[in-house]
Amino acid sequence: MHLDLWNSVAIVFGFSVLVIALDEYVAKPWRHKRWEERAQSGDKEAQELLKVARSAKVSNE
Amino acid sequence: MALDYDVPEDKRALYWLGDQLIEWRNPVMVLVLIVTGLFAYWTFQLRLVTSFGDLVPQSHEFVKIHNKYSGTFGGANNIVVMYSVEDGTIFTKEHLTAIFKMTEGMDTVYGVNHNQIESIGHRTVRHLKVAAGGTLRAEPVMLRAPQGQDEVDETRRIVHNAENVYGLIVSLDDKSALIRANFIEGRLDYQRIFDDVNSKVIDPFKKDGVEIYAAGEPRLYGWVYKYSGDVFFILVVTYCIEWVLRWMYFHDWRGSLRPTLTGIIAAFWGLGFIHLIGLALDPLMLVMPFLITARAVSHAIQMHDRYYEEFEKCGWHKRRAIVAAFAELFVPTFSGITTDAFGVLVIILVPVVMLQKLAITASWWILAITVSEMLLNPIVYYYLKPPEPELVVLRERGAFRRWIERFTHVLLSPAGKTTTLVFWAALTLVGVFFMRGLTIGDPTSASPLLFENSPYNVSHTKIQESFGGVEPLIVVSEGYDKDAMKDPQVLRTMEKFQRQLERDPDIGYSFSLADIIRAVNRVFHELEPKWAVIPDSWTDIGGLFFIFFSGSPPTETAKYVDPSYTTAHVTFFAKNHQGDNIRRIIQRCKNFIAENPMEKASFKLAGGLIGVLAAANEELVRNDILMNFLGFFTIWIILLFTYRSFVCGLYILGPLIASNILVNAYMAVNNIGVNIHTLPLVTVGVGFGVDYGLYIISRIIEEIQVKGDLDHAVREALVTSGKAVTFTAVTMIVSTAFWITSNIRFNAEMGLLLAIWMSVSYVGSQTLLPVLVAVFKPKFITREANTKAPKPALAAAARQA
Repeated sequence: MHLDLWNSVAIVFGFSVLVIALDEYVAKPWRHKRWEERAQSGDKEAQELLKVARSAKVSNE
Repeated sequence: MALDYDVPEDKRALYWLGDQLIEWRNPVMVLVLIVTGLFAYWTFQLRLVTSFGDLVPQSHEFVKIHNKYSGTFGGANNIVVMYSVEDGTIFTKEHLTAIFKMTEGMDTVYGVNHNQIESIGHRTVRHLKVAAGGTLRAEPVMLRAPQGQDEVDETRRIVHNAENVYGLIVSLDDKSALIRANFIEGRLDYQRIFDDVNSKVIDPFKKDGVEIYAAGEPRLYGWVYKYSGDVFFILVVTYCIEWVLRWMYFHDWRGSLRPTLTGIIAAFWGLGFIHLIGLALDPLMLVMPFLITARAVSHAIQMHDRYYEEFEKCGWHKRRAIVAAFAELFVPTFSGITTDAFGVLVIILVPVVMLQKLAITASWWILAITVSEMLLNPIVYYYLKPPEPELVVLRERGAFRRWIERFTHVLLSPAGKTTTLVFWAALTLVGVFFMRGLTIGDPTSASPLLFENSPYNVSHTKIQESFGGVEPLIVVSEGYDKDAMKDPQVLRTMEKFQRQLERDPDIGYSFSLADIIRAVNRVFHELEPKWAVIPDSWTDIGGLFFIFFSGSPPTETAKYVDPSYTTAHVTFFAKNHQGDNIRRIIQRCKNFIAENPMEKASFKLAGGLIGVLAAANEELVRNDILMNFLGFFTIWIILLFTYRSFVCGLYILGPLIASNILVNAYMAVNNIGVNIHTLPLVTVGVGFGVDYGLYIISRIIEEIQVKGDLDHAVREALVTSGKAVTFTAVTMIVSTAFWITSNIRFNAEMGLLLAIWMSVSYVGSQTLLPVLVAVFKPKFITREANTKAPKPALAAAARQA
């Protein structure tokens, strides 16, 4: 395939949008679910890390 | 919001600056976007152009001579097309017609010097004809495409008896003929010339049993332009790979996006500036912008990593985390950018216009990273949603971090320290041994810009095999007065010069005015071989010249001698342009000129491709060591001011010098010469290698200020900054190494070379530098011990978490 400036820009833009969408709607929920399952199955490290993360109060300011 | 919380006193100003950038985010953002928009507009006006004049050192004596005479005696920009038949000879109606029409086609190629085309089908290539009544006149070898067998036979007879044709533009086995054309330097449009030669000279005449080969500098650059479209493929693939790598490292799309924004903004500022100051991009320098953008992305990764770290430390307070990351990384980032920028700027010392332009544009581009990375960084983070705490917490305790911790433990053990020092000492010694073979100039006979099996290099080799040499070295014989070229001693010295230099194994053949006078004298004396000599008196010589040149206009005769007979030339056709060979040939010329002074003229070196390459190589030799010294010295000065220590520079430059030695050794072993294309990339490598060390040293100082323990500080630096440096290095090495897929061998080799350079620099910064610090305990670090209390606000926040 011959690439020029504009179809290169289109590809990288499309790829970026794809990664963002996959991260937000697939990877993050999957990762969260996995750590939840590990914590529920008695994994001490997972329980502790999730506890720290959940107790965090995020300031968006 | 004011800075109403505790911050480290020595960095209060930087914390304040970071906070103010967020406070004034809207006007700053608008201003930067407007300026970036302007630069983006100029970026899209940029064109790929190579200016031959920019590639040569204009102040060098050889180039002055080249410029003075290239319009008449021939320049460095020749295209040589060889028409070759597999069976029989070229002396058939069909083949001679093709050669004649190809020559006509060549005469219509854009930028061609119509008086400097050499082919048996061109009006300027003449032979002496004895006419009725015993008069002689010079006539073109072919006046038209042959109409019948008798004209074919006549052409063959002429060629076999013309000393300026047989063996020079028709091969001795009669199987090949050359069409050599010189191009006007001010009208070199490589892409257009390439397309014109294909459509007018090569493609219409391709057929079974005939091979057509084309070589010469304009043709070479034409191929380079053709392949330069590779850059888009490389750009797309590396962009995608980098995005995935960064996403895997940060576990968050923001970690992929933020460094991209830095890279794009810096690229617009850099590329737009190149257009703004009236320059263009050289296709052979495309690795450079790529590398600078990668560098910008690399700084952004460091900042992003630190932001996540500070986000947790600051009790998940976004604004405080942004300001802390900005303030804590300000020193290493700013030092890194300035060392990179000023390290590159030393290239300006080489008196080659292209390198000087490159030095200015690359320095500006690197300095532009301060805008995208430092000025905009806090603002962009402020606009983006903060990362989820869960993500930050899990990332900090991931497998990559554990791997770095294990490595650090082994490295800083007594055995690890000893092994590291011995390993680097041995490696450096091996490097010093091999780097002695480093060549200045091109180390191979084929063009190192393209692969050996590329169509260009195949053509180059085939033409060399048939004709012995196609790369001209023009030595000008400059008379002190008019008619100096009619002096027998001058002509005999020129002839002697030819015979002496032809003994060099890398000179194929030569041509001068002496050859013409001998041939004319012989024809004048009924082709008796004993008369193929230079007459003893200038009146006889003048008479013979009159016979030969009287039928030709001055525009045609000027390629041999100027109309007043003051200046002529001896042209040697070299078999290759290897750096060592050029040096030897030029030295032989100098020796001959010194040993053979002439009364009425003197030889001036040197024009043609070999002449200008010799000039470029001499300038590189003259400046290479100075540039390396100044590059390192500039970095040392910046480090001196950054860390207020004379020895700090030695610690950071130590691994860098070792890397430099190893990369030079690699170049020597792999036949990569130092030339005007490789030199800037190698110099950029010096500047870029220093960044890794800066992040490590800054973090060691930061840690020892709080904990007071050097060993702990080094460990902490390696598992925090070292982790980010490791990731940065991996992404940069992967993206740079991807250039090996380029069809342009030069770009492929430079990509690989820079990847190796960054690998060695990275390994040095992660092993040798911390071990040196741990073993020698430098004062500029230990004096900082316990000078700062833990950040109260942050500690409280951590406790709260």
